[in-house]
Amino acid sequence: MYISLNWLKNFVKIPAKIKPTTIAEELSTHTVEVENLIKQSAQFDKIVVGQVLELEKHPNADRLHLVVVDVKDTKLKIVCGANNLKLGQKVPVSLIGAHLPTGLEIQESIIRGEKSQGMICAEDELGLGRDHQGILVLNDRARVGETFAHYLEANDIILEIDNKSLSNRPDLLNHYGLAREISAIFDLPLKTYDDFLKLDEGVLSSASNKLAVKIEASDLCLRYSAIKIDNIEIKESPDWLKNSLIAVNQRPVNNIVDLTNYVMLECGQPLHAFDAQKIKKIIVRRAHHQETIKTLDDQERVLTNKDLVISSDLAPLAIAGLIGGQDSEITNTTQTIILEAANFLASNIRQTSQRLGLRTEASVRFEKSLDPELTLIALKRFLTLLKKVSPQVKIASTLFDYYPQPPQAINIDLDLQWLQDKIGQEIPRKTVINNLQRLGFIINSEQENILKVTVPSWRATKDVHIPEDLVEEVLRLYGYGQIKSQLPVLELKLPEINQKRLLERKIKNILVWSSALNEAYNYSFVGETQLKKLKIDFSQYLKLVNPLSSIHNLLRQSLVPGLINNIKINQFQETNFGFFELESVFFRAPGNQLKNLESTATLPYQEKHLGIILTGTDDLFFRLKGIVDNLLKNIMTPQTNCEFLPATNIPNWAQKDLAVKIVVRGKEIGLLALVLPEINKNFNLKKPVAIAEINFDLLAQLVFSLPGSDYRGIPKYPAVRRDISFVVNSEILYNDLRGEIIDFHPLLVNVELFDVYQGDKLELGKKSLAFHLSYQSSDRTLRAVEVDQVQKNLIQHLNQKFSIKLRDF
Amino acid sequence: MKDKLDQLRQEFLQDLQQVHNQTTLHELELKFLSRKGALSKMLHSLKELDLSARQQFGKLANNLKIELQNKFTEKEATLNINQTHSQNIDPTLPGFNFPQGHFNPITLMQNKLEDLFTSLGFMVLDGPELESEYFNFTALNIPASHPARDMQDTFYIDYPNEHQEYDLLMRTQTSPMQIRAMQKYGAPLRAIIPGRCFRNEATDSRHEHTFYQLEGIVIDKKINFAHLKSFLEIVGQEMFGAKTKLRMRPKFFPFVEPGNNGEYTCFLCQGKGCRVCKYTGWLEIVGAGLVHPRVLEAGGIDPKIYSGLAFGFGLNRLAMLKYNIDDVRLFNSGDLRFLEQF
Ligand SMILES: [Zn+2]
Repeated sequence: MYISLNWLKNFVKIPAKIKPTTIAEELSTHTVEVENLIKQSAQFDKIVVGQVLELEKHPNADRLHLVVVDVKDTKLKIVCGANNLKLGQKVPVSLIGAHLPTGLEIQESIIRGEKSQGMICAEDELGLGRDHQGILVLNDRARVGETFAHYLEANDIILEIDNKSLSNRPDLLNHYGLAREISAIFDLPLKTYDDFLKLDEGVLSSASNKLAVKIEASDLCLRYSAIKIDNIEIKESPDWLKNSLIAVNQRPVNNIVDLTNYVMLECGQPLHAFDAQKIKKIIVRRAHHQETIKTLDDQERVLTNKDLVISSDLAPLAIAGLIGGQDSEITNTTQTIILEAANFLASNIRQTSQRLGLRTEASVRFEKSLDPELTLIALKRFLTLLKKVSPQVKIASTLFDYYPQPPQAINIDLDLQWLQDKIGQEIPRKTVINNLQRLGFIINSEQENILKVTVPSWRATKDVHIPEDLVEEVLRLYGYGQIKSQLPVLELKLPEINQKRLLERKIKNILVWSSALNEAYNYSFVGETQLKKLKIDFSQYLKLVNPLSSIHNLLRQSLVPGLINNIKINQFQETNFGFFELESVFFRAPGNQLKNLESTATLPYQEKHLGIILTGTDDLFFRLKGIVDNLLKNIMTPQTNCEFLPATNIPNWAQKDLAVKIVVRGKEIGLLALVLPEINKNFNLKKPVAIAEINFDLLAQLVFSLPGSDYRGIPKYPAVRRDISFVVNSEILYNDLRGEIIDFHPLLVNVELFDVYQGDKLELGKKSLAFHLSYQSSDRTLRAVEVDQVQKNLIQHLNQKFSIKLRDF
Repeated sequence: MKDKLDQLRQEFLQDLQQVHNQTTLHELELKFLSRKGALSKMLHSLKELDLSARQQFGKLANNLKIELQNKFTEKEATLNINQTHSQNIDPTLPGFNFPQGHFNPITLMQNKLEDLFTSLGFMVLDGPELESEYFNFTALNIPASHPARDMQDTFYIDYPNEHQEYDLLMRTQTSPMQIRAMQKYGAPLRAIIPGRCFRNEATDSRHEHTFYQLEGIVIDKKINFAHLKSFLEIVGQEMFGAKTKLRMRPKFFPFVEPGNNGEYTCFLCQGKGCRVCKYTGWLEIVGAGLVHPRVLEAGGIDPKIYSGLAFGFGLNRLAMLKYNIDDVRLFNSGDLRFLEQF
């Protein structure tokens, strides 16, 4: 929203020593953010007054002219299409480099073979009106070479206010409201708005005809004020009116439309003027299902029975609070108007505006809950100004004013001791009272320590209701900077430690620091195409109602799709690399968090997963096993035995023979697998990929339930080492062999694989394995014969069980 | 005798100058310092003197011995250094290559703030990312008609309740966890809630539909505005340096009253004004306020006995400022060229 400083000065006298930058700064710290201070003249930068010196036909184009204009310093050749050009005229000339309000940047150009060094502008090109009939001809005041801004006396300063920061302040979307804030902030007197409603006694009751209005949807219309005015003469607005609108980026249209806009920008109440010619009766009602109206923006709009319309007895005239219809549009032939100043239910206006995808100056104001007291004030202001602009107008009806339930005033008891407790510092009683009064609050009675405060109507629609709201009013005017910060004195208490969060951090540290993986933050949303490529069944995936796109319309149940993408986008920069992610996945099943406090319904089940992906040249599968094993040993104990057992539940993207379940202390916590080559192809992945996905919640449970591990004393007697190497059928698994060996005898304390071979030196279907075996006793030094006997028995046992064939070294 | 000592010293120093490698060094040692060397002989010959002369020259001879020993060791050391040089190894060659992994910068930012607040006795809490309308909006004093509840701002889940209404969504803020925490722990309460949030908004260099917040809440008897201000100052100083100043402005959030924006002096230009702070000298970083009494009630806490303060940061924004990152989409991009810098 744009606010004109000149306009504000009508209501509050701002001393010269208060600079515009100070106003902007103080408004920002006390009320609402001023995003920008704009010099009005800047919008006419590089536009000057020129005089037409030469004028002739363009040799190559019938409708174009070649013009030479004098801009004092130099003479410019310009190609121009207007047909109202005359020698000697003074005209606005945009020089090379000027930016017009239409967005056009003026550049030197060749038009049909002739050089053009600028542009002579029409009214609409300068944002000054709608006229595009010909170039704008300036009056005698114009001096050749002066800036156009100077000619226009465009010396205003415009404050650009952030609309978003006004969401709860319906009173501020206008000049008077901001003037009130400025008067309060700087403690300057504010003129009462009554001073601007100068209607002669009896004007409003000068006519006897009643205006026929029927309010059918009384739940959506809180107040409806209207009056009929005759003898209207539609014409261009006077300069003061046009200039005021232009200053705040509103394009002048005609005197009636301009006045409705002017009043809205001044006091915040949207007004609507109907051409009354065809209107016998006004009905405020809900639209019929699929009723249509052609609106002022030339759109055919289809309504529902939730939308409110202003209708004649025949057809809708306007969508209430949003936009008028073309049937009752003010035109050059309009003679009689009905002026509407109404107050509609904010939430309903918002709904309709949302549904139609249409926001207007009116709807933006209505949807914030306007003060219903405003309707009559705005209507009177309109009439006051109309009399000034067109003295011949006549009131043609009595004032219609439907206002069944004026809201009750809000009274708040403000306890000063309580206020001090909330702020943390005493603000003198006099200051508190003064601050509130400056903002229009009324202090009714002052008891010892309690102020009885009445909220002004313009703050009472939804903004200020409870004492806490007054704390803000007092504080913001007093200045947040005036409050001395002070840490609270709190009871010293050991906070409950979030073990899961610490574990997350530890896992991330290990994976980054010791496994050289990169941390991905992938989206929680996935898409069908992506899942299809992974052959993942998504029939049970939760969906978004309103996704941004079809690639992000489902809630992920696995981190795999995101991780695959991490590989895909980086594979051209790197060859051997990996990622991990530790984040939530979502399921279509009841979870354990309550949905609300009234029922036992719960949110869908959500858990955290840890996903790791590796790509590269060789041994991916085993490198990933190493990473997972190292991680688990680090977060649990160095003795933790992490098992990788043949998986039963293998996802469709995994190679069946290279998919293992990750088992820790007897519990399955995840899966580790190599990705199928055909999946690689689906994603155009260049190198093999291995993935592990672990249920972090289960893992955390295991970590937190670890039994305290007892230290075992360093062995007093030395271990005896023997190696064993044998050939065995390939399908016999290491896991089984190892288990058999380590469980064979109590003296066998450690088994370590140190070589695996499979290849031409062996028969097909055979592999050779070599182990270091450690024998140790806790109560004596072992003798060689003793160890040899056990080893012999072991070999015999393995032979029986697996038909091993010993190898010699 | 004294002359003999001086002469020996002169000879040693002259020979020392000629020493340029291990061989000549060894020769020097043999000639002067070994058991059969010149110095030993000299010390032997002292025995033949009478007692007083022996005392007089014994001292001198001993000093000389120490001096020569020192000079020798010194020479030996310089020779050792020169020797390495002489083998022609380039010490500027790189060390072994240990591959490095990298954190997402949001994690780094979050860890830093978690550490700060746990040191002040705060709990660190997590909440569900898929939330209910009740906790995300209603309990936080955001009524059904509030713009934030629009479909165009919030991702709703296609999983209607028994009344066929969509009442599940991706949380738009970490604040629903305020209510869950109050319900679970009651008052007094001191907690921060970091986490992933969502907004139904098309992405560009400045907008992301997935972003990260960190929110703090303190509930106790007589918590007030001065306390809030102080917490915000501490955060600013921790994040941007000890000289960082705080400026607060009014800002409407339904779940606090009063509600504020907190701005810190721009750490890039020290408040003088630059492109990043849009020439204001201030960076808008934090939303804050005193907890609205209706929110306390929704959390089961009596606002007549307790009051609270709350504040929240966008971790994306903090990271963007801290590392001068110009595109918010990079955090979720998984682009190694980005991650490798952290
Ligand atoms: Zn700066």
